[in-house]
Amino acid sequence: MRAGDRPAVAIAGVGQAGPVAADSRSIPEMVLAAVEEALADAAIGFDGVEAVVTASVDLFDGLTASNVAITEVVGAVMRPETRIAGDGLCAAIHGACELRAGACETVLAVAHGKASMAPHWALTEWAMDPVFLQPLGIDFLVCAGLQACALAQGDGGATERWAELAARRAAAGDAAIAPPRSAAEILASPVLASPLRRGMAAPLGDGACAVVLRAAAGGPGEAPVRIAGAGWDLEPHSPGERDLARWHGLERACARAGLDRTDPGLELAEPSCLFAHEEELFRAAAGIGEEAPLSPGGGLFAGTAPHVAGLSRLIACARAIRDGAARRALAHGAWGPAGQAHAVAVLEAW
Amino acid sequence: MSAVAIIGTGQTRHASRRDDVSQPELVREAAEAALADAAVGPDEVDAVLLANMELFEGRALPELWAGAGAFAAGKPCMKVATGGTSGTSGCIAAFHQVAAGLFDLVLVVGFEKHSEGHSQTGMALTDPFWDRAVASGALGNFALSISQYVAERGATAEQAALVAVKARRNAARNPHAHLRMGDLTVEEVLSSRMLADPVRLLDMCPQSDGACAIVVASAAAARRRSRRPAWVLAAETRHEQPYIGDIDRRLVTMRTLRDAARVAYRRAGIGDPLTDLDVAEIYEPVSYAELAWYEALGFCADGDAGRLVEEGVTGMEGELPVNPSGGVLSSNPVGASGVIRVAEAALQIHGRGGERQVEGARLALATGYGVYAWADAVVLGAEAGAT
Repeated sequence: MRAGDRPAVAIAGVGQAGPVAADSRSIPEMVLAAVEEALADAAIGFDGVEAVVTASVDLFDGLTASNVAITEVVGAVMRPETRIAGDGLCAAIHGACELRAGACETVLAVAHGKASMAPHWALTEWAMDPVFLQPLGIDFLVCAGLQACALAQGDGGATERWAELAARRAAAGDAAIAPPRSAAEILASPVLASPLRRGMAAPLGDGACAVVLRAAAGGPGEAPVRIAGAGWDLEPHSPGERDLARWHGLERACARAGLDRTDPGLELAEPSCLFAHEEELFRAAAGIGEEAPLSPGGGLFAGTAPHVAGLSRLIACARAIRDGAARRALAHGAWGPAGQAHAVAVLEAW
Repeated sequence: MSAVAIIGTGQTRHASRRDDVSQPELVREAAEAALADAAVGPDEVDAVLLANMELFEGRALPELWAGAGAFAAGKPCMKVATGGTSGTSGCIAAFHQVAAGLFDLVLVVGFEKHSEGHSQTGMALTDPFWDRAVASGALGNFALSISQYVAERGATAEQAALVAVKARRNAARNPHAHLRMGDLTVEEVLSSRMLADPVRLLDMCPQSDGACAIVVASAAAARRRSRRPAWVLAAETRHEQPYIGDIDRRLVTMRTLRDAARVAYRRAGIGDPLTDLDVAEIYEPVSYAELAWYEALGFCADGDAGRLVEEGVTGMEGELPVNPSGGVLSSNPVGASGVIRVAEAALQIHGRGGERQVEGARLALATGYGVYAWADAVVLGAEAGAT
């Protein structure tokens, strides 16, 4: 998505519920809290929303067409709603498409997830090829372990490095879900999927995110942040068909978003890294060195709800730009085994 | 919205079991057919949109696995899942992504393999507090709302049976259809097993294994590649309250479809849909619903739908042929059913409908229906609109 003769897309409001380890509220109550915050931030009411794009996954919610649970609280009654079954960043990106297509002028993008309801990694086994992979008991966690193995091969210091990184990220967050631990404690924590230990994984919990997007004729108007580019990609499914030591899909997604691999203008990156080793994959694929701040708030290590992650990263970028901490930022979402699918959005100050 | 067109369509043979193919293979069958129809190579496709109701097969994120069937590896790919409207909403999502200027060619594939799961269980996962015990699944909630529709509008079992017969006889001319019953009679429908009063077995749609694909093109790509693109003149979606008790006379008013169609007609410059439209492919999950949709879509006054089907107005030789394909009553792979509606409408504009072609069709309507009362309306034309 590049600039052109179509309307620019402004981020007019953001709202968040959680993440917390277990939210005692129902999914609609949680979503309503995020939506009300985003609408208030955009200074509009429900009647100011023309269209809605939601993101959720049925099996994880235990509900068919799981957006039926939130139709009212996202204001979609008698309005257009599109529901993407994937990471929350896709909801914002598709919402931006609707605006650029001229289908409407204000879109609400919403994502929710409630990992406290069920063992998340066990459910992900049902997203694996049921002929060749699922019968082996392979889930997303196993795939993350395989990917970490591929990276650690011939790299003796890898696990220590990841433990230190995870400790640093967790310490930077507000420890909403899991208390920070030292690298030594992380290295002594139980093995999740060798060589990954529990402390090397971002803690999963419950949360919802909402973002109000608005078509803007070409000036900054009342919204100081705009989406300058977006891209997404799906890799082959089987880990055996991929070079697990690289996120090629993210490279392609970044190129589609108009990012050069060594974009000097990026002042912030907010990746959706559920595991410490993924940060190295992200840096390599997006071409981000040590000079640009990455996950200054701890990223997903401060806790995340599955598939809300990407939209929460977009909100983190938007807030940093509003606060003047960055002028250009990269938000990233990922889903599928070992980073099979990626989405990115480039946000700019306006 | 900048101009967007459909330049190719393709679908599988729909059947109660397609044990000969896996989900990715089923997707591939439809994808290859649509790409061949559009004369587009897999490498030329910029992006892929999939539509599927994964919980019917008891799976999560099936695009991760089945996406390869749609040549999605290495491409941007998203999946839309909104119950019965998944297919139409998936097509509309592709229209928007192309109109946004991101892509020139997008492949949409809707698919469902009901035989690998249990659809009733999937549909029973509605709100656990209010709806599950009362009206779970398609049949229970249709029986409730059809009873109300019949009581208020006076539609008869015979009129509903005429819809069922029309659908299955039309399907006999469609090589892809699941239920091809060229000799079906009203008496057979009326004497079929009662499922939930007043809905009988032959009033109801089947559940099918199948997939359907379309190729969506930007205006420039459509003009370059197609002699007769089916231009998207309007595309509207409306969602509705999730609790059936909250919707006033749901099937009677069907305010979502009514409003989506009203806006779509206005955008497409349609004054009187019955005379202006040449053909309609509407998502009728049960015979009685087609009658209710005639009224919501403005084909007739409220309460007059039975007459349309009695007089053959919506038959193949009538003023507005409805569902030449045989409709959802003849083939229903849920995630694909909406794509089938759009593809069949496009096929008519392309003039490639074979035995089910409506002579000279230039303006076509496709609709989607999902969950309890969600609706999509898409208008396609032989000429690009003044968007």
